[in-house]
Amino acid sequence: MSKSMTKLVNRVVFWIIVGLIMLYLLFPFYWAVNSSLKNENQLMMTPTTFIPRDPVTKEFSPTLDNYRAVFQSDQFIRGLRNSAIVAGATTLLSLAIGSFAAFALGKLRFRGKSSALYIVLSMTMFPQVTILPGLYAVITGLGLTAIPGMILSYLIFTLPFTVWVLTSFFRELPIELMQAAQVDGATPFQAFRLILLPLTAPALVTAGLLAFIAAWNEYLFALTFTAIEPASRTVPVAIALFPALVARQEPFGEIMAAAVVVTIPIVVLVLIFQRRIIAGLTAGAIKG
Amino acid sequence: MMFKKNASSKLLQREQRLAYLLLLPTFVVLIVVALYPLGLVFVTSFTDRTFASPREPNYVGLNNYTQLLGMTIRELPPLIDEETGLQVVDPKTGGPLYERPLRVLPREPRRYREVTQFSLFGKRYVLGATDPDFIKAVWDTLVFTVVSVLLETILGLGIALVVNSPFKGRGVIRAAMLVPWAVITVVSARMWQWMLAPTRVGVINVIFQMLGLGDGNIAFLTQPEWQLPSIIMVDVWKTTPFMALLLLAGLQLIPDELYEAARVDGAGPMRQFISITMPLLRPTMAVALVFRTLDALRVFDVFQVMLAQSRYSMASYNYYQLIGNRAMGKASAIGVIIFIFIFIFAVLYIRMLGVETD
Repeated sequence: MSKSMTKLVNRVVFWIIVGLIMLYLLFPFYWAVNSSLKNENQLMMTPTTFIPRDPVTKEFSPTLDNYRAVFQSDQFIRGLRNSAIVAGATTLLSLAIGSFAAFALGKLRFRGKSSALYIVLSMTMFPQVTILPGLYAVITGLGLTAIPGMILSYLIFTLPFTVWVLTSFFRELPIELMQAAQVDGATPFQAFRLILLPLTAPALVTAGLLAFIAAWNEYLFALTFTAIEPASRTVPVAIALFPALVARQEPFGEIMAAAVVVTIPIVVLVLIFQRRIIAGLTAGAIKG
Repeated sequence: MMFKKNASSKLLQREQRLAYLLLLPTFVVLIVVALYPLGLVFVTSFTDRTFASPREPNYVGLNNYTQLLGMTIRELPPLIDEETGLQVVDPKTGGPLYERPLRVLPREPRRYREVTQFSLFGKRYVLGATDPDFIKAVWDTLVFTVVSVLLETILGLGIALVVNSPFKGRGVIRAAMLVPWAVITVVSARMWQWMLAPTRVGVINVIFQMLGLGDGNIAFLTQPEWQLPSIIMVDVWKTTPFMALLLLAGLQLIPDELYEAARVDGAGPMRQFISITMPLLRPTMAVALVFRTLDALRVFDVFQVMLAQSRYSMASYNYYQLIGNRAMGKASAIGVIIFIFIFIFAVLYIRMLGVETD
């Protein structure tokens, strides 16, 4: 085989591998879109079809009925609203509380700093499932309903992570900024609020996005805390317990439509901020 | 001089006080939502408290733990034919038959039930447990963790290597890698549940049949031998991209000059991979591995959505004990056991990572 021939074969093999990777990553999502455009009869065709086809004429015939049904479903709409409230509030709270702590850990001198860092880091690995019964008791003890209960308990996983990402960011800001502000008569807290905090905007976006996605995704606490309060169910719970129209059949067409609806905004968000997200995800693991 | 020192120590004191004040909200939250519930779970695990019930709980000592972890191994005597005095042979498979486990497993003070049978040195044994579902859940969770983390690492490394090589359109792949990661875990479980439908309505059955595997009617989520592989497949799809992203970041830290020098010395791609890429990627990979392992040990969503109560992970068993059985004491003991499992791994993680303090 000539040299240019080998090169060509190598290239072809390489692109086949790239194609297979793309197929593997995207196929399940394609399948959800495909299934969401089929009606009940089309879903039950054997063998299943790779595009929505008419059962008789075999022609391409998609339907939007499933999307219509999903947007008329109270449970789903309420789920979207509940999820937006819970994930939004969790994100804001953990950014507010977390940026205070991160400023202290990243820029201030105090005794016990390394143990405080150790505690925060170990909390990022806290197994949430362990405390399920105890947390339930705390939430009912505080007299909280499901939605504030979820917001409070999601801080277990969003807060330590936020503190960790923001601390590494604060640490990299030049100390001269703070000293200059102090020379001008600002207190350390003013230096934080007026000079350092605006500079951390990119890190706040990164940490906020990751916190939002984690909260949007959460299922165990949501399922447990809304067990006696169905009106407070979030999206993952609503999709897991999607009501069956026909008693013995799961409405997979509608479930897939709901899946597509909740996935697209997150995918768009993630694609817009992909650099930030990758940097945030890898920060803890690589820099540490 | 004296004055200056005083002033700076005063400044330092003020700074210290501010730092504690700023840390206060974070630590209050962590105490309320993590440490206090953890303590509560620990205490409750020694009682027979019932979930959402006004009844006063009793102290039961280690009862919940012995109930969950009680195990015994008994030898199964061969099944003897009374007429011939020989061991009975299964007419279908030709294998020797043994007594039923029910007859050898103890019933007092607690009843042991069969978890599994195994043969060793020509003898047949049965593993019995007071709570076989929990023992199976622990075992399944460990198998799930080891296999899925291993597959994710291998596939993730492959993808990371491909994306790390310069070619047109690699930005597109990198973006596509974030899609499975961004899909809600419950949603991906539902998507796969539909793809894994037990007839040719499901695309996986159709693809398997095209490849000459199975008859197009494999019940992936109900046949015991297919359950774990299916769950692992879903988890691998969902988390391989995350692994690949971590490993990719590690790959990008390796300076190009090293590869150039190796090429000048005549080292081929395989040689470069073994003597440059692997050793330099090791720290990143170790961290990624332990990180994923901790995550996999507490797997809940995929198991609960796809297998419900036909097969448990440690976490989904905990959930069903708490919500389904209302056995708060027992659920708490399960929580403590999971905590111990994960604590061991977490200590390893912190040791490996080390913490930058300043």
